[in-house]
Amino acid sequence: MSSNSQFSRKQKGGRQVRRKVEDVKNLSITSLLDVLTIILVFLIKNVSMEAVKISELPDMRYPTTISTDKLLENATVTPIKLYLNEVKLGVGNLTLGTPQQLVEDGETRAALQNFLTLDFAAIPEEKKSDACLIVQADANLPCGYITQIVSAGTSVGYENIYFATLEDVDWLRTYSSASVR
Amino acid sequence: MAGYRRPYRPSEARQQKGQTAPQEPNLVPIMNLFITIIPFLMLMITIQVSLLALNFASDSTGSGGGDGPGGGNQDKIVEIHLMIKQHDDAGLFPGMEVREPDAEIHKLPWLNENVYDYTRLNDLLAQLKEKYSDTTEIAVIVHPDVIYDTLVRTIDLCKTNGFVTVHYRNPKAVYFY
Repeated sequence: MSSNSQFSRKQKGGRQVRRKVEDVKNLSITSLLDVLTIILVFLIKNVSMEAVKISELPDMRYPTTISTDKLLENATVTPIKLYLNEVKLGVGNLTLGTPQQLVEDGETRAALQNFLTLDFAAIPEEKKSDACLIVQADANLPCGYITQIVSAGTSVGYENIYFATLEDVDWLRTYSSASVR
Repeated sequence: MAGYRRPYRPSEARQQKGQTAPQEPNLVPIMNLFITIIPFLMLMITIQVSLLALNFASDSTGSGGGDGPGGGNQDKIVEIHLMIKQHDDAGLFPGMEVREPDAEIHKLPWLNENVYDYTRLNDLLAQLKEKYSDTTEIAVIVHPDVIYDTLVRTIDLCKTNGFVTVHYRNPKAVYFY
């Protein structure tokens, strides 16, 4: 509100009475702005666009692990998403087909190989050794399909293969107690 | 003094009436922008998933090797076989089998259907790490029908027990016609 003084008018015995309301002091937001600027700078520094490519997918059940690894610094990332009924490639989520087709259909495997070859070729030469293939797969998927992806990735030249998981330091204890029941 | 100059005369503007008071810059749009950006940035940071890495570098220390994808060395290391099907002739059973380089075999069958004995595996890996303290390598041989969750949990236990270099291998398939 920008009013420095506010006047109210009251009818009283035919006379207009004007009452001056005390000025409301403006809220100083300069210090808040300073803090927000500092936070913004740190957040922008910490947000990695490569990490955004591997954010948690809402419709996928991830396996849980105690140990975790950090993604290589400044690595170029190629994500592959394996759902129970669908395989999606790259940041653009290109649909490859079903996981069954990966094993049974030669054309699907060739398409996967082509995609990975092109993606790997697009990476600058000095960054090739840090190129990462990230497998985001549903926990209930048979490993035969994972093997196909790992096999294609390593044959193209990816030296770093990451499995996306959710961190749970207590999974062994909870799993044990659940299995006893 | 010839070079004498009059000092700057006072600005005429001061003399003018009705000059508006200096206004504070309007920071509200900037604040709105910040308040919009910051939650997005924080969201980007917090929703990252954890990662479990396998390194398939072709040198001798790289993971992934043997018969499966990735290539690598063929040194004698501890092997963990993950199985799901019962096949007596092939020596397969539902569960895990840990093979030491000196051919000692530890069998860890299922506790229930699809419930692997990770507690025993964890204890066994801790013992094996003490026995083979000079190596960080281990191989996980996974049969195609075993679910991904089992593979990841097994690799996880290997890493937490000090076997940080995990080789990912395929079982040798032999077909009879």
